[in-house]
Amino acid sequence: MSDTTSTAAARHFPAINLHVLGPVLALLLLIALGAWLNPNFLSYGNVTNVLARSAFIGIIAVGMTFVITAGGIDLSVGSMAAFVAGLMILAMNSLIPIMGVGIPVILCGLAVAMIAGFIAGWLNGVLIAKVRIEAFIVTLGTMGIYRSLVTWLADGGTLSLDFDLRALYRPVYYDGILGVGWPIIVFALVAILGEVLMRRTAFGRHCAAIGANEQVARYSAVNVDRVRIATFVLLGMLVGLATIMYVPRLGSASASTGVLWELEAIAAVIIGGTVLKGGFGRVWGTVVGVLILSLIGNILNLASMVSPYLNGTIQGVIVILAVVLQRERKAAGAR
Amino acid sequence: MKRRSFLNTIAVAAVAAGGFTATGAVAQDESYTIGVAIPSATHGFMGGLNFHAQDTIRRLEETYPQLSFVLATAGDAGTMVNDIEDMVATRDIDALVVLPFESAPLTSPVQAVADAGIWVTVVDRGLSVEGIEDLYVAGDNPGFGRVAGEYFAETLSEGDKIVVLRGIPTTLDNERVEAFQAAIEGSGIEVLDMQHGNWNRDDAFNVMQDYLSRFAEIDAVWAADDDMAIGALEAIAQSGRAEEMWVVGGAGMKQIIARMMEGDPQLPVNVTYPPAQISTAIELTALGLISSTPVSGRFIIGSQLITPENAENFYFPDSPF
Amino acid sequence: MTAPVLAISGVSHSFGAVQVLFDIDFDLRPGEVHALIGENGAGKSTTMKILAGYLRPTSGQILLNGAPVSFTGSQQAEAAGIVMIHQEFNLAQQLTVEENIFLGREIKRGPFLDHRRMQAESRALLQRLNSNVDPRARVSDISVPNRQMVEIAKALGREARVLIMDEPTAVLTARETEILLEQIDRLRAAGTAILYTSHKLDEVARIADRVTVLRDGRHVLEAPARELNTDRMAEAMVGRELSGLFPEKPEVFGDPVLQVEGLSVPGLIQDAGFTLRRGEVLGFAGLVGAGRTELMEAVVGLRPASGRITIEGKPLKPGSVMAARSAGLVYLTEDRKEKGLLLGKNLRQNLTLLALDRFTRILIDRKAEAAALDRAVAEFDIRAGDLNMNAGNLSGGNQQKLLLAKTMLAEPRIVIIDEPTRGIDIGTKQQIYTFIAGLAAAGKSVIVVSSELPEVIGLSNRVVVMAAGRIAGILEGDDINEQTIVRLAMGMPGEEVKAS
Repeated sequence: MSDTTSTAAARHFPAINLHVLGPVLALLLLIALGAWLNPNFLSYGNVTNVLARSAFIGIIAVGMTFVITAGGIDLSVGSMAAFVAGLMILAMNSLIPIMGVGIPVILCGLAVAMIAGFIAGWLNGVLIAKVRIEAFIVTLGTMGIYRSLVTWLADGGTLSLDFDLRALYRPVYYDGILGVGWPIIVFALVAILGEVLMRRTAFGRHCAAIGANEQVARYSAVNVDRVRIATFVLLGMLVGLATIMYVPRLGSASASTGVLWELEAIAAVIIGGTVLKGGFGRVWGTVVGVLILSLIGNILNLASMVSPYLNGTIQGVIVILAVVLQRERKAAGAR
Repeated sequence: MKRRSFLNTIAVAAVAAGGFTATGAVAQDESYTIGVAIPSATHGFMGGLNFHAQDTIRRLEETYPQLSFVLATAGDAGTMVNDIEDMVATRDIDALVVLPFESAPLTSPVQAVADAGIWVTVVDRGLSVEGIEDLYVAGDNPGFGRVAGEYFAETLSEGDKIVVLRGIPTTLDNERVEAFQAAIEGSGIEVLDMQHGNWNRDDAFNVMQDYLSRFAEIDAVWAADDDMAIGALEAIAQSGRAEEMWVVGGAGMKQIIARMMEGDPQLPVNVTYPPAQISTAIELTALGLISSTPVSGRFIIGSQLITPENAENFYFPDSPF
Repeated sequence: MTAPVLAISGVSHSFGAVQVLFDIDFDLRPGEVHALIGENGAGKSTTMKILAGYLRPTSGQILLNGAPVSFTGSQQAEAAGIVMIHQEFNLAQQLTVEENIFLGREIKRGPFLDHRRMQAESRALLQRLNSNVDPRARVSDISVPNRQMVEIAKALGREARVLIMDEPTAVLTARETEILLEQIDRLRAAGTAILYTSHKLDEVARIADRVTVLRDGRHVLEAPARELNTDRMAEAMVGRELSGLFPEKPEVFGDPVLQVEGLSVPGLIQDAGFTLRRGEVLGFAGLVGAGRTELMEAVVGLRPASGRITIEGKPLKPGSVMAARSAGLVYLTEDRKEKGLLLGKNLRQNLTLLALDRFTRILIDRKAEAAALDRAVAEFDIRAGDLNMNAGNLSGGNQQKLLLAKTMLAEPRIVIIDEPTRGIDIGTKQQIYTFIAGLAAAGKSVIVVSSELPEVIGLSNRVVVMAAGRIAGILEGDDINEQTIVRLAMGMPGEEVKAS
């Protein structure tokens, strides 16, 4: 490599650093605040609790990063998670008489979740890429459809997993390796693979190209429709995976499962520095965003320093601040 | 059927009058339409309420061919107002049974219905202005909090520590919590914290996890709703502190009742807040239309304490709730 | 002859370091149509913009009624009665005809708009133009020539004494053009001074009283129109020394590599067919809107089309850019900012986007990418201050070189280059010409689509001329000259043109 490139890189480095710091800074501030307010905040139990409960939104938000980077949006993920959870529970319950309580039933449940997620994501993708309906409208529609389907499946109530089967399945949420829970391990793997996929593969590059300028991507022989559908399929399958981690926690699904998850996932993606109109995505930023959102709720519960009625206000202010910090950094870092 | 016996205990008047109608009153040729407007099934209790509403309507339509029903479920107050307006304008209803999504926004639309000479039955949540409805059927929200509070006051001793999971911030939730606090006043029980679990399992799970991280000693949990109780129980189980505390939920969800019947030490009691109150309301309204039975007035269904001993009477395996 | 109402004298203009106008004199007189003609880039637009107050000249004078003025903007010029009608209309599509005509100077009665009066006045203005467009019609609902009439009515409504018309007939059919020319006759009779530009020289001959020809920013000819014919005008427009700019053309070609037969794009291209041979540079000439870009986009699969395309004897899967790329056929767009480059992404990501599969096994090999960028920078002489900069911060010429590098990274055997030198300085042009000739010499086949005739002539072994969505003729050898191309492109019968 020539001298010019290395000096150029050095010249550019501080700007990148500033730009990157925004969400990380917000996260560190929150952690410091939490530790100061309550000594239990950094305890093993609390840290694993927060990480594990971040896992559902986090796994989904990683997929959402790809969709948004490619210039799309998916409002249906929360309802989709509830629907997939409902299907999975129904499928497993109805298989017990045939297969008995055992690992094979759970494996079938996992397959149902992944296949349902795949199909749901694929449907969204095809309607958007091939039928050419706005992503916002398509997923707003499917959001309502899945929500009402799960209400219907549950007959307005709650779908509960068979008690014995649940005892068998429960460790998937509550156990782990070396004290690290499975949801945390899965979330970490998804985040790492997502980061690699975004930054180091043709698929990630193509997502960013489509989001930045679909015409350029088309003229550069990128299969725009296929990539776009793939982002929604990926998201759908990650919703399936999140559901697999979610069901063993409470063993149930109802119409109130996953309400507003879509907005939390989108907020996490944007806090993490991904551009809402597409063209640039950052998976690790999304992880930071998810952690910020979880920590806010955790700190408010641990500290009870404000009226619980104001929790929403605090969350809103922090979300906006995290993005404003980034904006100013961008302006300062601009050439 | 257990279900019938349940109705008997809480709505003696209705069943007695029903028997009278079936045998004594002349079924007139005239037909009636009853509109039923309730919130949609977004959580367990409402799911149960929706189930009971549909079940009652089906049963009444079979029994009384001259009755027809219009059922509308709404996700917010505005939609409910639209539903009611549509019922009056296009279905020409003779009576309206409404569980107001929120009190204030529904008051004047329901008043307009009453002014048009249509029979109005209000369920569970009162309107902002008194005297609009012909019949008021409700659970006892202060009673719901009071009965639970009394149990806490009797069972726990001075200095014991409890945490509370509240519902979605509403008047209803405030009434329950205030009555609960009034009932434990002077008992010396220390309330460590009250946070909103929003009648939601996942939220309650998270809040309970955080309570457990924060407080080294918790003797009891008032979860105020069985959905929240399930989330809280799961968080307690995860922390391995199940021996340390018990949980009181509310509304008699069938899974909880089942566990009580098995004598689960973590669930000593429960408090009723029957979703079947909607059945009472619909049945009484139907009676008022097709017979000369006087049904107007107020009908408060008291909150009862469920114990492992009487739990069987409150167990409805068919209901989704 | 009456005195000029508006004139420029000794005007020069530069954009940065590039001088585009050299000491121009030009005037407009009441009741006269003065045509300003020249090739693309000759300086017509700049001259018009200076006259209409959009640009301030670097040096020289603007004279209004003989007195020097200095416009600070187009509003000031408009207040003085000078109105320019742009090639792309400046009409609000969703407003009505009346609302457009009175946009910015609405007649009010008290606080409310007086629609009745504005409609009546609009109707009167349109009637003066012999047009019966309904003032209440939405602009998006009326035909393109009617929009042109609305533009003119809008100008009349502003009491234009000077009307500057930039290619008003580019979007019109022959019949519509005739109506427009009649209106211009009327305006002339009413004493308006008119500046008229068009690439269609027969129109110029028909309507103009005087003709001024610009070439390379210089004033080369001014004469009464009756003393000129279209051939003489074309000659004046293009007559320049081109030696040295273009490399030698090779003489020997191989077998056909790309064959297009009966290609049609609904509404744009009709029954186009041509053959490209190995080692050949095939030029495509024609007026703007003749369908050259659309034809090329159809060939590479960017537009749905019917017809038959074969590459080295094998049929090409239609409608798939991916298939074309794997068959070794790539297209380099004319619109580098909107379709060619990701302006917000860095050079490396732009360079490898088309050929990303060559850098990818499972992961992208970023070292190989960086090496490719270093090679491209050296080979194509891309001048970037910083290799991490975004493509949008490169100059136009360097963007074009980056786009070329990106295209060549896919190792195509057939390259279609649309407007290879648009908006590029002469030095870079020469680099690109040398590169194109080098491609052909290396056995690749090149199609060059260009609106600059010298470019097409200087580079191509054969030239396909398109007019109105059809191939008007394919020229070879000595037939490749500007007069023949211009005649074919303008739909005039070609002289001694060999049929394709």
